[in-house]
Amino acid sequence: MSNENERERDTDMTDHDADHGHGAPLTETQLRVRALESLLVEKGLVDPAALDALIEAYEKKIGPRNGARVVARAWVDPAYKERLLANATAAIAELGFTGRQGEDMVALENTPTVHNVVVCTLCSCYPWPVLGLPPVWYKSAPYRSRAVIDPRGVLRELGVDVGDDVEVRVWDSTAELRYLVLPERPPGTEGMTEEELAALVTRDAMIGVARVEAPAGGQARTGRR
Amino acid sequence: MNGIHDLGGMHGMGPIVREADEPAFHEEWERRAFALTLAAGFLGQWNLDMSRFAREQMDPAHYLATSYYEHWLYGLERLLVARGLLTQAEIDTRVAELRAGTAG
Amino acid sequence: MRVLRAREVEPVIRKGGKARVDADVPPRFKVGDTVVARTINPLEHTRLPRYARGRRGVIAHDHGVFVFPDTHASGRGPKPQHCYSVRFAARELWGPTAAAHDAVYIDLWDDYLDPA
Repeated sequence: MSNENERERDTDMTDHDADHGHGAPLTETQLRVRALESLLVEKGLVDPAALDALIEAYEKKIGPRNGARVVARAWVDPAYKERLLANATAAIAELGFTGRQGEDMVALENTPTVHNVVVCTLCSCYPWPVLGLPPVWYKSAPYRSRAVIDPRGVLRELGVDVGDDVEVRVWDSTAELRYLVLPERPPGTEGMTEEELAALVTRDAMIGVARVEAPAGGQARTGRR
Repeated sequence: MNGIHDLGGMHGMGPIVREADEPAFHEEWERRAFALTLAAGFLGQWNLDMSRFAREQMDPAHYLATSYYEHWLYGLERLLVARGLLTQAEIDTRVAELRAGTAG
Repeated sequence: MRVLRAREVEPVIRKGGKARVDADVPPRFKVGDTVVARTINPLEHTRLPRYARGRRGVIAHDHGVFVFPDTHASGRGPKPQHCYSVRFAARELWGPTAAAHDAVYIDLWDDYLDPA
C-alpha cells in the first residue's frame, strides 16, 4: 500500500481540529473519502488532476453570477426575454452557459400575480450552469419537505411576503428539466446598466425565495444611463 | 422506492437555516467526494438514475442525520462495490490503514 | 473504461448529459388534458413522489421525449417517452385548507399517468 497519493491537506481540518493542532485524528468520513480516492487513483480509474479541475470549475468558475447575467439581459432586452421564456436552453446558451444539470432549461417569470419557487423534493436537482452548486438549505429536509406543502410559510420564513391575490407555483424538479426563476425587476432601477442590474440579482431570487432589491438610496451612483 | 428521500409534504423537519455567503464546499472531504463521484461516473459503469437510486438506499435515520455529501459518499461506495470496481474488503482495509497512520 | 482527464473536464461539463432522446415516440397526452398520477409503489427507483400519487392534474406542457428513470436505474433500459409538466392544484394535493389558487408543477413521464 502506498501513501504517495496522500497529500498534506490542512484544509481537511475544521476550525475545531485546527485548534488541536496538526495530527488531529481524521473523522470516519474523511477516512472513507481518502480511502476511496487513494484506491481509485492507484487503480488508474480517476486522474487526480481531473478531480482538481472538477473542484475548480464548481468552486471558482460556475456560479450564480451566470444566472444573474441572464436575468439582467432579460430585464433590459425584451426580445431576449421573449426568447428566454420560449426556449430557455437556447437563450441561456447565447450567453455561453450550457451543460451538466442544465441541458434542458425552463425560465419561470415572476409577475405581480404569479410567484414561482423551485425545489427538488426527492434530492437536490438544481440548474448548475446558471446557479452553480446548490446551497445546503436547498438540499436539506426542511426546505424539500415544506416547499411543496407550505410554500407561503416557507417564503415568509425566508423573508418574502406574497399577497393572497398572488398565485404561488411550486416547481418540483423531478425530471431533467432545470428551472430558473426570472425575478421581478425592482422599481427604482430604471437607469441602471445591465451590469449594475446583474449585481443586484441574488441566487435566492433565482430560486424564487427572495426578491431582488433595488440598491439602497436609489440608483447606482455612476449616473450612467 | 417509498424511501426517506421522498420528503415532499413531510412535517417535523425543522426550520430552514440559511448560511450567509455560504461556500460551495464546507470541508475538503466534500470537495473530494463531489469530484470523485463525477469522475467515477464518467467511467460509464452506471448512469445518473442509478446514482440517485444508490443514495436513496441509505439507512433512513442515517440519511436524515448526515450532510448532503455524506449521501453522495454512501452512493459512490455502494456503486463502486456493486460494479466490482472496488471490493468492500479493500475499502475497509484501506480505511483501517489510514486510520492507523494518523496521530490520534 | 475511459478515465476522465483534466483537459476534458471543461468540455465534458459544457456538453452535459443525454436525458433528452431524439426518438419519434408519440405522446399519450396533450396540453390541457386532465390526468391522474398512478398509484404505484415500486421498490426500485422512481421520480413519482408519493404526495402526487392518485392525484388529478392538468398537462401544462409537453417537454418532449426523455429517458425514463424507473427502468434506466435498474438496468431495464432507457424506455424513452414523453415527459410533461403537470399542474396540481394545491387543494388537490393537500386538502381544502391549502391556498385556493396555488399549484405544484411536477415533471412526470407517460408511464406515471392515466387519463382522468
